[in-house]
Amino acid sequence: MIEIRNLTKFYGHNAAVKNVSFNVNDNEILGFLGPNGAGKSSTMNIITGYLPSTSGTVLINGVDIAENPAAAKKQIGYLPEIPPVYQDMKVKEYLKFAAGIKGIKKRDRNAQVEDVMDKLKIKDMEKRLIRNLSKGYKQRVGFAQALLGNPPILILDEPTVGLDPAQVIEVRNLITSLKKNHTIILSSHILQEIQAICDKVVIISHGEIRAIDTIKNLEDSMGEGIVLHLTADGPREAVSYLIENTSGVLKIEDITYVKSNCYTYHIKIDNEDVKKELMSSLIKNDFEISDVSSSKPSLEEVFVRLTSKPAAKKSLNELLEEMDNNPDFNEEER
Amino acid sequence: MFSLYKKELQSYYYSPFAYVIAALFLVLFSFEFINGISNMEGTMYKFSFPNIFHNNFFFFIFLIPALTMRTFADERKTGTEVLLMTSPLNVFQIVIAKFLAVSTVFLMMIVLTLFFPMITLAAGEVVWSSLICGYLGFFLWGLVCIAVGMLMSSFTDSPIIAGILGEGAVVLLIFIDNFKDSALFDNLPKAAKVIGWFSTQSRFVSFSQGIFKLSDLVFFITATVLFLGWNIISIEKRRWSRG
Repeated sequence: MIEIRNLTKFYGHNAAVKNVSFNVNDNEILGFLGPNGAGKSSTMNIITGYLPSTSGTVLINGVDIAENPAAAKKQIGYLPEIPPVYQDMKVKEYLKFAAGIKGIKKRDRNAQVEDVMDKLKIKDMEKRLIRNLSKGYKQRVGFAQALLGNPPILILDEPTVGLDPAQVIEVRNLITSLKKNHTIILSSHILQEIQAICDKVVIISHGEIRAIDTIKNLEDSMGEGIVLHLTADGPREAVSYLIENTSGVLKIEDITYVKSNCYTYHIKIDNEDVKKELMSSLIKNDFEISDVSSSKPSLEEVFVRLTSKPAAKKSLNELLEEMDNNPDFNEEER
Repeated sequence: MFSLYKKELQSYYYSPFAYVIAALFLVLFSFEFINGISNMEGTMYKFSFPNIFHNNFFFFIFLIPALTMRTFADERKTGTEVLLMTSPLNVFQIVIAKFLAVSTVFLMMIVLTLFFPMITLAAGEVVWSSLICGYLGFFLWGLVCIAVGMLMSSFTDSPIIAGILGEGAVVLLIFIDNFKDSALFDNLPKAAKVIGWFSTQSRFVSFSQGIFKLSDLVFFITATVLFLGWNIISIEKRRWSRG
């Protein structure tokens, strides 16, 4: 279990992480989602004890990473954004070294190293220099390193970047299988990946948490209504007039041309019942409907909506600070 | 911690790095040796090893920083620092392991020079007290330079800059005596005295004369410990201020 309380990190005057709190329960995969520069890596670096936080606490199975780093770090396997591999070492040699600094007993090291090499399918590369490996293999060697010592908690910063599609699926399967006896935090900006393997998502933007929920709940709650795609014959003005005057229709988002006297209307509606009413009124007025479909906003849209919102200003001080830091503001003053 | 020490040591000997530096060191050493022999005068044929050592540690200026420049700068550059810092090792252990590894490489270099006294012994006599103390002083001074070089490497993430900074720092260490004796300090005897506390050459000279002074030993060890301590602080500080 990982508990993160009011985590804040300042780099000089810039806040990279602002008051972030969340929990990850045992045997859960948490997806950490956010645009580039949102503070994902900073948060992960703090959780793993690489960087100290400005304020706030991180508890790893009840152990504070800042107060008892050695005990907390023993429980964490970390795969950073750039795999921390030594170019001049051979794969097996590197893994043995990593096992050594993680404090794995000498007699267990060989078995552990063999085990993680099997899991990541890098056994046939064990005698190769890491320098000569492809990006995907380096990534897997880094991943293997994180699994050494079978730590209960895994922190994976973009584990599938640089892998080919087949490898991506393999690694995703591996992560899902690891779920049985590990707690995992996984960051990514690939939404499908998060959707495919995570139980819970934390969406972060500008260092602030925008949402913590399951994927299904997020899609449900953020999906403001349903979009109906309706293709109907008839003059555009008349049809849209009719649609707009049906109760429950929020607005017509877009109208696309199909053929002469036939358009597709993208209509935002309240609920599924509106669809029936709309269709019957169209038919009543002798407009022929050739196609109807509806769609819910995807996680992608939810993500864009959540992260594109400007950060809320909590106090006047913060606003003033921003004006100081923002050259545009200053230029206007001049 | 032993794993890290072993890995560091291997990294020197897996690449041509340590060999090139050791070879260069031996070439320079043998030049000094030949020089010593050819400069012999008078009826008593003698030359002094401490003299050779004394000339040799001017070569520390580029040899030691070349050994130490990669210690931290390279780890930071390639991102492997994360591995060390997120392992259960603490910064103290990391610094000590690295220091011991470089010291071992340096010790190997010195051990190779034992060849020269052996030749001398075969053809004549050596003054043991002076030789042993000379070696000890040489080694201790090397340790101070290693600690300084590592400190410089912890300041930056470019090995080249670390090397140049290290060279500057070692130059300062070696020439602090000459600085003290310069005309600049003729009217400032107190300042000269204070600088004199940090003088390294004079301490080496007493070693090389076969005089083993506890205060000199303490000086070299303290200097090493201080620089290593600063090293730890510098790495911790970077953790806090990284952007």
